[in-house]
Amino acid sequence: MNAPGKTAPLLAFENVWRSYGGGDTQVHALSGVSFGIERGTFTAVTGPSGSGKSTTMNILGALDVPSRGIYRFMGSDAGRLDNASRAELRNRHIGFVFQGYNLLPRTTALENVELPLIYRGLPPPARHAMAEKALEQVGLEGRRHHTPAALSGGQQQRVAIARALVSEPTLLVADEPTGNLDTERSREIMALLTALNRERGLTIVMVTHEADIAAFASRQISFHDGRIAFDSDAGAAV
Amino acid sequence: MFLESVRLALRSIARNKMRSLLTLLGVIIGVAAVIALLTIGGGAREQIRAEMAGQGSRLIFAFAGMVRDPASPAEIKVQPLTNEHLMNLDKSIGQHATIAAQAETRLRVSYGARGLSAQIRGVSESYFTLREWTLKRGRLLSPLEVASHAGTCVIGSKVAKALFGTENPIGARIRIGHPHCRVVGELAPKGASFSGDQDTLALIPLGLFQIRISGRNELAQILINAPSEALVAPLKVRVAEEMRRLRRIAPGRNDDFQVDDMAEYMRQAGSIIGNVTAILGAIAAISLLVGGIGIMNIMLVSVTERTREIGIRMAIGARQRDILVQFLTEASVLSLLGGLIGIGLGLAIAWVVTAFMNVSFVPNLTAVSAIAAVSAMIGIVFGFFPALRGARLDPIDALRHE
Repeated sequence: MNAPGKTAPLLAFENVWRSYGGGDTQVHALSGVSFGIERGTFTAVTGPSGSGKSTTMNILGALDVPSRGIYRFMGSDAGRLDNASRAELRNRHIGFVFQGYNLLPRTTALENVELPLIYRGLPPPARHAMAEKALEQVGLEGRRHHTPAALSGGQQQRVAIARALVSEPTLLVADEPTGNLDTERSREIMALLTALNRERGLTIVMVTHEADIAAFASRQISFHDGRIAFDSDAGAAV
Repeated sequence: MFLESVRLALRSIARNKMRSLLTLLGVIIGVAAVIALLTIGGGAREQIRAEMAGQGSRLIFAFAGMVRDPASPAEIKVQPLTNEHLMNLDKSIGQHATIAAQAETRLRVSYGARGLSAQIRGVSESYFTLREWTLKRGRLLSPLEVASHAGTCVIGSKVAKALFGTENPIGARIRIGHPHCRVVGELAPKGASFSGDQDTLALIPLGLFQIRISGRNELAQILINAPSEALVAPLKVRVAEEMRRLRRIAPGRNDDFQVDDMAEYMRQAGSIIGNVTAILGAIAAISLLVGGIGIMNIMLVSVTERTREIGIRMAIGARQRDILVQFLTEASVLSLLGGLIGIGLGLAIAWVVTAFMNVSFVPNLTAVSAIAAVSAMIGIVFGFFPALRGARLDPIDALRHE
C-alpha cells in the first residue's frame, strides 16, 4: 500500500474493468480504465449514455467493485473490501448527490441530513447540531422541519448536498446534480458546489452530460465505449 | 441505533394504520384466544383448588360399584352400601379417621302452596365435621338430632328462596316428600360448581331419610376423612380391604365398590380442563402461525415498496446488518403490537366469560408476558426472510428502483 503522501492521489483507477454476464454474452461496461484524482480537485465526467460514466461513478462511490484491476482509495484497495467495510467507507469518506435528490419521503430536512450520522452511531444531540450546521451551509436553516414534498427541487437538492456534507466527506460524488433543475437553480447548485471545492477544498467528481455544467469543473474526463476518450489533465493520470 | 429502529418502525406502522391492523388480525385473534383460554382455564383450576380447600382434600369416598355377573353378562348388579358397612368400617378404622355417610334422592320439597324438586340428603352424625359449611342463618343439625332421627332440616339457598322468598325460613315446618320437618338452618349460596348445583338441597338426619323416605338401610356414600394427606393413600387401601371383607368378595374377583378420594376427583377435573385448554391452545397456535405468515407477507410488500429507501440508506453508509435490523425491528414491533392488542382483547373476553361462569378472573402474568415475548418472536421469525431480502439488495439496483 502506498503511504498517503504529497504525490499520491486521493484515488486512482488502475486498469479497471467492469464486466457483466459471462462467456459469449459478456458485456464490458469499463475496459481497462486508468486515471487518478488529486485531493481538492473538481472533475467533471462526461460521455454519452452507456459510455461507462455511471459505472465509473458507482465504483468511485464504493457502491460497486471492479471485475478486474484496482480501485485505490486513500491508498487502500477499495475493490477488495467486503460489503460492511465499503458501507463504512461510504459513510465516513464519501458523500453522494443524485439527480433525483433521493431524499427519504415524509421525513424532515433535518432528519434526512442526520441519516448518515445515525449509521455512524452518533447520539441525537450531536446529530442535530451537525445536521443544523450542514443545513446552514446550504442556506436552508429556515426549512429544517419541512419534508421534501414541501420543498422546491432546488431546495431538495440543497438538502441532499447538506446530507452529503454532514459527514465531512473526503470525496463528493455528484451524479447529474442539476439534471432535474432549471437553469437558474442549476447555476445556484453549481455555485454552491464550486464554493465547497474552492473554500473547503472538497474533492468533487461530477457526472454530467451538459457541457455548460461540466465547464464549472477544473478538469474534464470524457468516456466513450467503456474507455477514456479525453482527459483535460492527461499528464496527471496514472 | 436500536431505538432509532424502533422509532422508525412505529412511524412506518403509523403511516399504514389500516394495513397494519388488518395484517395483525391473525396475531391479535391468536393471542386473544390463547390469553382468554389460559385465563379462563386458570380461573377454573383456581375454582377447583378453592373447592378442594373447602371440601377437604383428605376426603375418601366409598360407594357401590357396578359388577357384571360372569354368568349373565348383560345383567349389571349393584350391591348397595348399607348401615352395616358403615358400622363395621367405623369399628375397624374409626379410631384413625372420621367416618360419615349420606343417602340421597330427589324429592319435592314444599311449604304451603310453594314447592320445588330438590336433592334430599340424609346425613350421619359426623357428616358436618367433614366439610366446611357456611350458614346464612340458623344452625346445622346437632348430633343429638341426627342420632334421634329428629324431624329437622337444613336447606340450601335456592330451596329457601323458592319456598320463603326473602322471609326467614328458620322454625318453619316444610314437607320433604311426605314427612314434615322443621327448618333449623339455611346455607349460604355456593353457586354452580364442578360438583353440580349445591344450593337446591335439603339436609336431614340419615335415620329420618332411611325410615321415612327411602325405607331402606342403604347408603349412597361413605365418607372417610384421613387425618393427614399423607394417610389418604394407605387409608384408601385399608378401606378397600375392609370393604372386600365385609362384602365377602372372593380373592381374584373384582371389587363391586369404588373407593375414590377428593384429590383424585380434582386431578381428573384438572386434567379434563388441561386437555381442553391444550386442544384449543393448538388451534390458537395455528392462528398465530397464520398471523406470522400475514406479517411475512406485509413485510415483503414493505421491503419492495421501500427498495429505493434501502438504496439511499446503503449509499450513505447503512450496512446490510443495519437494514436487516431495521426491518426485523419493524416486523417485531408490528407483531408485538398485535400481541398487546390481543392480550387486551383476550383478557376482556376472559373477564366476561369468567363472570358468566361464576369462576374467578385470575390473569396469569407469566403467561401474559410469555405471550408478549412470543408475539415479538413471531415478528423476528417471520420478518427474517423479508428483512434479509431487503438487506441483500444491491445498492445500485435499489437506487435505480422506481
